[in-house]
Amino acid sequence: MPATTTLDQFIENFLTAVDFQNPVEVTADTELRSLPEWDSLAALGVIVMFDVEYGKTIVGNDLKAAVTVGDLYKLLD
Amino acid sequence: MGLSTLRNVRYAGMSSCVPKRILHNIDDAPPKIRSERERLVRNIGIHQRRICAEWQTFSDLAFDATGQLLDALQWQREDIDALIVVTQSPDYLIPATAIILQDRLRLTNTTIAFDINLGCSGYPFGLHVLGSMIASGAVKKGLVLVGDRCATLNDPLFSDAGTVTALEFDPNAPDMYFDLNSDGSGHKAIMLPVGGHREPFGPQHVVPTRDEDGLLHWPGDLILDGPAVLSFSTQQVPPSVRRVMEYAGVATHDIDYFIFHQANRMINETIRKKLGLPSEKVPSTLSDFGNTSGASLPVTMTARIHEQLSQRGHKLCLGGFGIGLSWGTCILDIENAVLPPLLVS
Repeated sequence: MPATTTLDQFIENFLTAVDFQNPVEVTADTELRSLPEWDSLAALGVIVMFDVEYGKTIVGNDLKAAVTVGDLYKLLD
Repeated sequence: MGLSTLRNVRYAGMSSCVPKRILHNIDDAPPKIRSERERLVRNIGIHQRRICAEWQTFSDLAFDATGQLLDALQWQREDIDALIVVTQSPDYLIPATAIILQDRLRLTNTTIAFDINLGCSGYPFGLHVLGSMIASGAVKKGLVLVGDRCATLNDPLFSDAGTVTALEFDPNAPDMYFDLNSDGSGHKAIMLPVGGHREPFGPQHVVPTRDEDGLLHWPGDLILDGPAVLSFSTQQVPPSVRRVMEYAGVATHDIDYFIFHQANRMINETIRKKLGLPSEKVPSTLSDFGNTSGASLPVTMTARIHEQLSQRGHKLCLGGFGIGLSWGTCILDIENAVLPPLLVS
């Protein structure tokens, strides 16, 4: 994980990547399925975010296995 | 095969044709899904698409493009030795659309005509197959017609187009460099699952289901695994571009334009950023013409830079990728080629 990446920064990038239509509160414990825009488009946005922002390759199955936003953050390990 | 060089093949000209009818992804969407559609359009970058009239096929568009190009090139029809069609929307399952077009275009019986079943990656492959026949000396002048009729009313990605590219034997032509690849382990990522011999069409495929937005889905609809296609494209295309550039001995600053298959904005921007390319070197037609399958490279060249390409020599890097899975890149020089304006039919 890049030393400079904090959970707060990760969540900020996550919010941009999913492109929420209305503001939402997100913490590490937020369940992805509870988010109204957690759909196939959001999945694409998050895969791109990992690739472009963090140079990390993740696939669709990584996203399917993640339950919370914190689980996504752990994929940076 | 991977990397290869074609010699003695000249890129003589190219023409693109799209149907008249325009679909607006937001304005034409059902009101119930319009808000969601706005978010989608923001991310895929496709505002409007072209869709064929009921009677119109891909081959009608390619036929019109070919008429325009042959007139502009002043090529005689009896001089054309090969006609190759790259499509996944043929006129009929059999016979090959290329052979039907041989007759419609009034080409001679000595013209070699056959189809290649490739989609979004098809343009570099089509250039290579025809180019190889020309490089061998067997074919002096040939046409490769690339495109699909793939637009539907509901799907926001796909758009219809037909194109033709003319190649000819020329001992003074600059070399063309290719990197062509296939990965059939990903064949389920994009597929029409019904209608072939593995899953023949039957009564079980005629009843659609209605989703929560009220849209109907049939069992034989196109399967498109978005995350799989995005991962494949953004992982495979940038290394292929670097590989073919190294093979050709050129750097980014030597190349005037990088033309990529127009998949969607997320995929295309990721590829562009990973290669560190300035956006002015990477023309896009996503907003106006959507994803025109294998035609997207020529359509983008025609709609965005046909005037520049008609004026002086340009070095291009082309990248196609998609169904198969397959991906191909090539580097070629276009000098004194004939590229008429976009034809609307």
